[in-house]
Amino acid sequence: MNFLFTISIRNLFRQRRRSILLGSAIAIGTAVLVLANAFAHGISEVLFNEIVSYVSGHVSVSFTKGGNANNQVFHDGARIREIINKRVPNVKRVDEAIGVFARAIGNAKADNVILVGMDPSGDGVDEKEAEKLAKNFKELEGHFADLADTTVENPVCLAQEKAKTLNVKLHDVVRVRFTDIRGQTQAARLTIVCIMKPSNVFMAAPVYLHIKTVKRLLGYSSNDVPQLYLSIENPRKDAKRFADSLHAGLNPPLAVIDGQLSVHGSGVEVTLLSLRTDSASLALVDSAMKFSARTAADSVNPKKAVIISESLSKITGLQPDDTCTISYEGKFGDEPGGARLIVTAIAAAGSGIDGQVVLVNERDFYKTFYDVWPKSTVAVNGPFRPDTEIGIYKAFGGEWLLAPRSRTTRDVMKLYREIAQKGWKAIVVDVGSMYETASMVLNLEYALNMITAACVMVLFFIILIGVVNTLRMTIRERTREIGTIRAIGMQCVDVRNSFLIETGLLALISALSGTALAFVTMFGLSQLTFKTDANPLGMLLVDGHIFFAPTVLAVCFFIMLIVGIAVVTAYFPARHAAKLSAAEALRHFE
Amino acid sequence: MLRILGCILLVGTVAFGAPKIDSLLSGYDDLYRQVSDIRAVVHLTQQKVNQGTKKLEMNYYRRDSDESFLIIMTGPEAEKGNGYLRVGDNFWMYRKNTRTFQHINRDESIGGSDAQGDDFEGRLLTEMYAPVKDSAGNEMISEEMLGKFSVWRFEVIAKVNDVDYPKKIYWIRKDKPVLLKEASYSSSGTLMQTLYYLTFTEIKERLVPVKTLIVDEFEKGNKTILEISGISTDKLSNDIFTKAYLENLSK
Repeated sequence: MNFLFTISIRNLFRQRRRSILLGSAIAIGTAVLVLANAFAHGISEVLFNEIVSYVSGHVSVSFTKGGNANNQVFHDGARIREIINKRVPNVKRVDEAIGVFARAIGNAKADNVILVGMDPSGDGVDEKEAEKLAKNFKELEGHFADLADTTVENPVCLAQEKAKTLNVKLHDVVRVRFTDIRGQTQAARLTIVCIMKPSNVFMAAPVYLHIKTVKRLLGYSSNDVPQLYLSIENPRKDAKRFADSLHAGLNPPLAVIDGQLSVHGSGVEVTLLSLRTDSASLALVDSAMKFSARTAADSVNPKKAVIISESLSKITGLQPDDTCTISYEGKFGDEPGGARLIVTAIAAAGSGIDGQVVLVNERDFYKTFYDVWPKSTVAVNGPFRPDTEIGIYKAFGGEWLLAPRSRTTRDVMKLYREIAQKGWKAIVVDVGSMYETASMVLNLEYALNMITAACVMVLFFIILIGVVNTLRMTIRERTREIGTIRAIGMQCVDVRNSFLIETGLLALISALSGTALAFVTMFGLSQLTFKTDANPLGMLLVDGHIFFAPTVLAVCFFIMLIVGIAVVTAYFPARHAAKLSAAEALRHFE
Repeated sequence: MLRILGCILLVGTVAFGAPKIDSLLSGYDDLYRQVSDIRAVVHLTQQKVNQGTKKLEMNYYRRDSDESFLIIMTGPEAEKGNGYLRVGDNFWMYRKNTRTFQHINRDESIGGSDAQGDDFEGRLLTEMYAPVKDSAGNEMISEEMLGKFSVWRFEVIAKVNDVDYPKKIYWIRKDKPVLLKEASYSSSGTLMQTLYYLTFTEIKERLVPVKTLIVDEFEKGNKTILEISGISTDKLSNDIFTKAYLENLSK
């Protein structure tokens, strides 16, 4: 075998110019391939680690209230966090995500801004995260950490460009007008504690406040949570799986309010259930329930229905059009909940709701339920708990509405259109992984990978044509030499192998050289600084530099691929040379 | 922002001899309930700092019995033919260019102006606001002069969450129960907006404000003039509050 290597290497050096030309082509091709892959992988890393995790989290949970996608609130935050901890193991960080449009007035200048909440020193922000934060928000004046300063009125950090637009300096006050989570127009004074230079143009548009400040300004109570972004250890592998698991864990229980119904000065314990008022549920009510009394208005507009059981009517004397009040114990704090209801119908006995129960249209029910979250749950005994087998059970609402899992960004957008359209009164909980919520961003990575694949194809043809052409010429030039070595006893297979080893060695040396060239080029390109202040493509850079992320696995794969392609391509001409008879080869003359 | 129909319906039978805030509010609501159907032409002239003047014109139809209203934009040219339809809980925006209806929220801007969908709803003041009382439990109502008019000035605070402003101050003439001025505040006590009811006309023995000045107190220099004309309280046909009618009107 050694002599074959010797012959192959000698042949390579003997036809130095040709070897250099072909080797250069292969090396450049390899360099392009490694470079393109490292660039695509780098972009992918930036997208995943710097953008997707901030824009949508690896896994996100949204809570749309009142059909308004901008109104993100869930009133029992501790419970959601408990479910997350149970269902998503090794969650690195759970971020509360709030972004609200506002009108800002600086020093005689006004501009639209987005108020964004963040917690620079929150749980899960380790040294690495802090470094990343410092890198993304370069402090020019003041300190980012001052966002948590409680002695300053609503501390805020904004980008240098935004400060210029609003004509403000450090410690100046910016007034903002915005709509809070109740839909009320509010105003606040924000004190600038930090002016920074963000790493990309997108981070320059918002103004940053501590998450606690934004929550307070927007009217979130201590138990409320906004949209949640979960960062996990291995997002590519686990994001979808964890989202599915979390979705399963967020199946809502039946919503019940156990309280005291007061009428004519006397009280009775009752359970309030939510009655869905979509057309399917109303049809179910009409088919599954019989009414012993009903107001004319209820027949016309069942969306305002308040239905009591016949037995409750007998106990309380309540009739359609009568008014009663409900009071109940809240889950949080001392504040009791309550509602004033006008009875619209009495369900006849045998409708499945025989007992101390009031079915309340979902609009009035959820208004009450979310105003003061009740202490009662369906899991504990109360005045009435419906049998899950009764026909009307499906018309009863849960504590929230769980949206089905979306598969693409398009599906997510469709879901939000549906939420606005259907006018669901319950909070709609939606769980998404980055693969759905940011699928359009991830499509960019796919496109880059396709470009790399195209490079491979181009390279393949360069090698194919180059190697075939070179070997054909070599074989033609060496035909008499082949005849000589065959005549002195060299076997066909050795002739073939000598050509294959020669090509393989050339490809290997070229690929290694190309890889080295790629790394040198990467180093050179990553030293260049691009000023992309107003260019959205700036988000793909890290500190204004192109970020390459070559991997050992990919580089080894590409080298093996190129050597493999070269050897396979050389096989057929080499076999042809090996099959030449010694006498015929010796007669060859050019 | 613009409680347009509230203004239209503010007429003169409030018991000004007994200026209890609740009675003023419920008097307002009682009168409000008396009219169900309304048709009018609405002009909005919006002035914004560094943005010039924008004029909007629209035909407006409202029926309270089923919480419906329809707005069809008639100007400017860019907005002409676009419309808004609300029937019960459903609120659609119609775009003439694409001939499509899209579900929108109550707080959606009308024709790109500061007016929102919920400004055109007919809601009872007594359901939304309660009197503000001082530490002694007395209602915050006082007698003042507003220009040449002697008025009652009283403060109300939101008792439900879904209102535009959590606190308001009203000025109502003493001799006639006519609302002359309305100031809206944020929770932090910042004055956000002031409405001045400038001109009135009498329709079916009721004084209806037909010209209102809305001053943006937050962003100084922004103001809107609201003018209403062609008011009719005749019963409206059921066909009006349909997508087909809106689509037909926009042609």
